[in-house]
Amino acid sequence: MDASRKANFSAVSNPNNGIKTHSPLANIKPGSAKKIVIKNLREKPKLPDNYQQETWGKLKGAVEAIHQSHAIQSSLEELYQAVQNMCSHQMASELYDELKVVCERYVSSNIQQFLTESIDSEQFLKQMDHCWQSHCRQMIMIRSIFLFLDRTYVLHNSNISSLWDMGLELFRLHIISNTVVQGRTVDGILVLIERERNGEAIDKQLLKSLLRMLSDLQIYEEAFEHRFLEATDQLYAGEGQRLMQASTVPNYLHHIDRRLSEESERLLHYLDQSTRRPLIACVEKQLIEQHLKALLQKGLDLLLDQDRISDITLMHQLFSRIRDGQKELCLSFASYIKKTGRLFMINHEHDHEKDRDMVQQILDFKERVDNVIEVCFQKNEKFVNAMKESFEHFINQRQNKPAELIAKYVDSKLRAGNKEATEEELERLLDKVMVLFRFIHGKDVFEAFYKKDLAKRLLVGKSASVDAEKSMLSKLKQECGGHFTSKLEGMFKDMELSKDIMLAFKQHMTHVEAPGISELTVNILTMGYWPTYTPMEVNLPEAMVKYQAIFKKFYLGKHSGRKLQWQPTLGHCVLKAHFAAGKKELQVSLLQTLCLLMFNDGDEFSFEEIKEFTKIGSHSEIVQRNAEIGELRRTLQSLACGKARVLLKSPKGKDVDDGDRFRCHDDFKHKLFRIKINQIQMKETQEENTNTTERVFQDRQYQVDAAIVRIMKMRKTLTHNTLIAELFNQLKFPVKPADLKKRIESLIDRDYMERDKEQANQYHYVA
Amino acid sequence: MSNCRYTAVATWRWVANDDNCGICRMPFDGCCPDCKVPGDDCPLVWGRCSHCFHIHCIVKWLNSQQVHQLCPMCRQEWKFKE
Repeated sequence: MDASRKANFSAVSNPNNGIKTHSPLANIKPGSAKKIVIKNLREKPKLPDNYQQETWGKLKGAVEAIHQSHAIQSSLEELYQAVQNMCSHQMASELYDELKVVCERYVSSNIQQFLTESIDSEQFLKQMDHCWQSHCRQMIMIRSIFLFLDRTYVLHNSNISSLWDMGLELFRLHIISNTVVQGRTVDGILVLIERERNGEAIDKQLLKSLLRMLSDLQIYEEAFEHRFLEATDQLYAGEGQRLMQASTVPNYLHHIDRRLSEESERLLHYLDQSTRRPLIACVEKQLIEQHLKALLQKGLDLLLDQDRISDITLMHQLFSRIRDGQKELCLSFASYIKKTGRLFMINHEHDHEKDRDMVQQILDFKERVDNVIEVCFQKNEKFVNAMKESFEHFINQRQNKPAELIAKYVDSKLRAGNKEATEEELERLLDKVMVLFRFIHGKDVFEAFYKKDLAKRLLVGKSASVDAEKSMLSKLKQECGGHFTSKLEGMFKDMELSKDIMLAFKQHMTHVEAPGISELTVNILTMGYWPTYTPMEVNLPEAMVKYQAIFKKFYLGKHSGRKLQWQPTLGHCVLKAHFAAGKKELQVSLLQTLCLLMFNDGDEFSFEEIKEFTKIGSHSEIVQRNAEIGELRRTLQSLACGKARVLLKSPKGKDVDDGDRFRCHDDFKHKLFRIKINQIQMKETQEENTNTTERVFQDRQYQVDAAIVRIMKMRKTLTHNTLIAELFNQLKFPVKPADLKKRIESLIDRDYMERDKEQANQYHYVA
Repeated sequence: MSNCRYTAVATWRWVANDDNCGICRMPFDGCCPDCKVPGDDCPLVWGRCSHCFHIHCIVKWLNSQQVHQLCPMCRQEWKFKE
């Protein structure tokens, strides 16, 4: 306070402020200033007595002129000044009340025009809009004139509403609160909206203005919104019911989409934003949520079957709008995969054709489903997981067989002669197969069959590419760990070691005279790595026996303490043959060789003679009589009944029977010089298949035993059920409880564990 | 018809008188528990008592014996068979 006063004085003493310097104040030092006292006027200026009436009369005239849309007599500035003056002379309160009375009288007089029944609805709305618009215009004008009142008196008294609000209040009270008028207005609006929903063009501007009116009057929600939402609800409930019956799912989905965007337009153009949530929710509820299950049931499978990407995308979008919509879609999607997948798997007739195509079909299916997930479901985690679960579910519907078929599928792709794929394509294919492999429970079955096929590829030299083989191996290793592939790797190692040994052996052979045959290559296998082969004694030609003996001596000289066992079923040869039509080179298996070489010494032999001479399947009484006799039959069949028939069989026929006779086919013709007839070795026989499967089950028994002992050792005492439950957790392949029970019995017999003496279903570990 | 190239297949296994090593109980077709692959890196050895073991197994056994070096199977003095 002090500081500001001083500042004022110093301003006065400032010589530059225009006051002459000889003023006595100028010489006074600061600090000892004299005070200037400003005194009130002796007499208050008085207003003329009729000032209030006169001024108000002027203002009233102006207000009425505005209401009547006449020109105002006085200038606006004058009017404004008048209001200001009245306010400064404590007449604000009266002024406000007077003004209100004038406005009220006018507004209430307006109601009459809306009460006439004769005008039609649209006309009525237009009139209402017109009335409202002019009311607004007038109130703005009036407020401008009475601005001073609005800014002082009204502002200082919180219980008094501003001029604008007063105007709204009057309009609400006298016009729109009239039930007939309000009813007609809202009905009219609803009719218009319904007409637009039915596809007619309507006056959106009118609607917008009227709805703005309702919300300005603060009756939008109670008077309009409730009824509007009700009408919407009814409309779409009916429409949903009707279209679900009449329309196809894709059309229905598009219809929903169109409806939703229409309603959004409506919100944009005339509805109040506060309606957005309830309105959209209402459409979603009536059109989607009510029919969710039916839509999924009726449409999803079809859409997925026909791979209609855009429709599925739309479905996902629409369903994601509502609660649980995505979840339901995901569930149906999963059950579709399971259902479709099961069709690939089921093969009651054991149709080999179908089994052969199964993996390719599953791969194609997987690709299709992946595409749907990527494009339609935006790689949503939920869908990805559902897909994985479903695949795992249906692939393991059939025990063991899928694992076997996948292994065979890989074999067919890795086999030489499969020129359909480039290295990169093959690599990608293997990756895809690995995805399927991941779903499989019985990985040991896969390993067994894969190993058997790999062995054939390696031994017959039929592997398409070493790189691809190695790549597949590393994928398996990555997936299942080193123990899974150690034997497979061992097989590759054996092949490499054999190559080294053969180099050394060739060196060695330069000093030794080779007996008869020009070349011998030996693959030496480590027993443990390879599938178990049943050794077979056959009658080899003398030259070959001698050659083998030379090699054996050479090998055992290098590696002492070992035994060498020849495996005639796995050997193969290249034969030079002279036919009437010219020279040919035949690539045949060792067993085929033995049969063919017989014909150097004779023209015709019977089945029994060949059997006697070659000894193929000779010690059949020891092992698998049928299997080995089958071996000779198959061998002869391949030579006499296959594509390249170097032998002739009589009587002719597809199968080889006892007593059949064979002759060399001297007029043999073939467009190629080098002919492979040893395909038969690559083919899997039924016995092989059974053997492999049996061996896997054998191995599984040991694993079950080990798991039981491991668990019992840790827990000491367990009930039967808990033990079974723990076993299911530990074992990585599918097992039946009955089989587990057998293993438990067997372990009890072998004193690994014992039954509780009182409770038969409780076991104790025996140390 | 004449044979010009013969590709034979043979399997090798250790010359042994038992299926499993008496010390580690692993099959002789495999290797001792310390090795990864069967082969010349993990050979078998014979004692004069005509028992054979993985070389790694018997050496470990002999090293653990303080006084007499005995065959773990027959308790005769262990001598490597030449």
